Amino acid sequence: MASKKKIIAPVMFMLLITILYTSVLAFINESTKSIINEQEQLRIKRSVLYVLNMESTGSGDEINQRFDELITVRDVNGTLVYKRLENGVATGYALAYTGKGLWGSISGYIGFSPDFSSVLGVDFVSHSETPGLGGRIDEPWFKEQFREIPVDDLETIVIKPSDGGNIDGITGATLTTKAVVNIVNQFIIDTLAFAKEANL
Amino acid sequence: MNEIIRVFKAGIYKDNPVFRQILGICSSLAVTNFLANSFVMGVGLMFVTAFSSLTVSVIRQFTPKHIRMMVQTLIISAYVIILDIFLKAYFPAMSKNLGPYVGLIITNCIIMGRAEAFAQNNKPFISFFDGLIMGLGYTLVLMSVAFVRELLGFGSLFGIQVLGDNWVNWTLMIMPPGAFFMIGIVIWVTSKWFPKEEEKGGAKA
Repeated sequence: MASKKKIIAPVMFMLLITILYTSVLAFINESTKSIINEQEQLRIKRSVLYVLNMESTGSGDEINQRFDELITVRDVNGTLVYKRLENGVATGYALAYTGKGLWGSISGYIGFSPDFSSVLGVDFVSHSETPGLGGRIDEPWFKEQFREIPVDDLETIVIKPSDGGNIDGITGATLTTKAVVNIVNQFIIDTLAFAKEANL
Repeated sequence: MNEIIRVFKAGIYKDNPVFRQILGICSSLAVTNFLANSFVMGVGLMFVTAFSSLTVSVIRQFTPKHIRMMVQTLIISAYVIILDIFLKAYFPAMSKNLGPYVGLIITNCIIMGRAEAFAQNNKPFISFFDGLIMGLGYTLVLMSVAFVRELLGFGSLFGIQVLGDNWVNWTLMIMPPGAFFMIGIVIWVTSKWFPKEEEKGGAKA
């Protein structure tokens, strides 16, 4: 059995060092909070601009300026709707989606034309697909295929070479491609209903 | 000076954490599909190992022996969290690429191994150096594995395409099995290059 003294000293030591480190960490966390938050916001803004077919590259300041100039954010029944306004006329909507990919959830943004008759663009913000295979959904050539696709009530996105196909799948990543197509198609159906209900 | 050279040799090849001590294998397998990821991971580990070894060494005389592991873990996690916050704030893209592996540096046996085997019994400066060099040894192995994997798997180095259009990406290399093959080859080759002098070795995990 350890004597009483040998218990108190270590506990005090541990307590002291814990307090020391916790306060240092708390300080660092507090002082970088706003920067981290800003970085996350910036990513969302880039993504929204991208799906609305606008310039989404450039420095953080440029992105912020462009976003604040043209995009208004509205909370509709708990869903954030990003609306692009040009000279007082709505020219597009962007909404966030989440869906089941092959290995984990895929989330991002989809842009629509103001009357929800076509998809303006699709972007992926986070996913856990295999790098080099399904992970290639991040590549520009794949995402650019989703530009200006007319919305269909049932199946908007169809993989080539099926009849009426409009998207090239990714070689070696059939399941990820299918998952993405399903997510987008389902999201379009949901959004049409949502838009009607919310009267966008 | 002699001690510095000895520590240096130990970290780079004689007692290299990855191919000699077989520590830190999990992250070596996970982040080596891109050179850039491996580089940041390696630098991160160097930072954490160096500073936690330094701290452990500075307080080694005041630390009650029977709670030293608790103290070490606390110190290591603190530095890892600092690193994680730093990456999130200033390199968000890299933070996203490395995903949970930054946080998992806490459980990287190399750091605890160095704290226990070296920093606990040595002066602060040499402990700091030991941590740095052990991290460097880890980084070098990661970079060489990533070099082959990224080159064969994507045809690129640091994200810059180096192999021409007629190069067909060898997808296996960037998937987990590719990492196992490469680490196996590294361990095999290095054990031929640097044969063990005698079977006593350094720290065992």
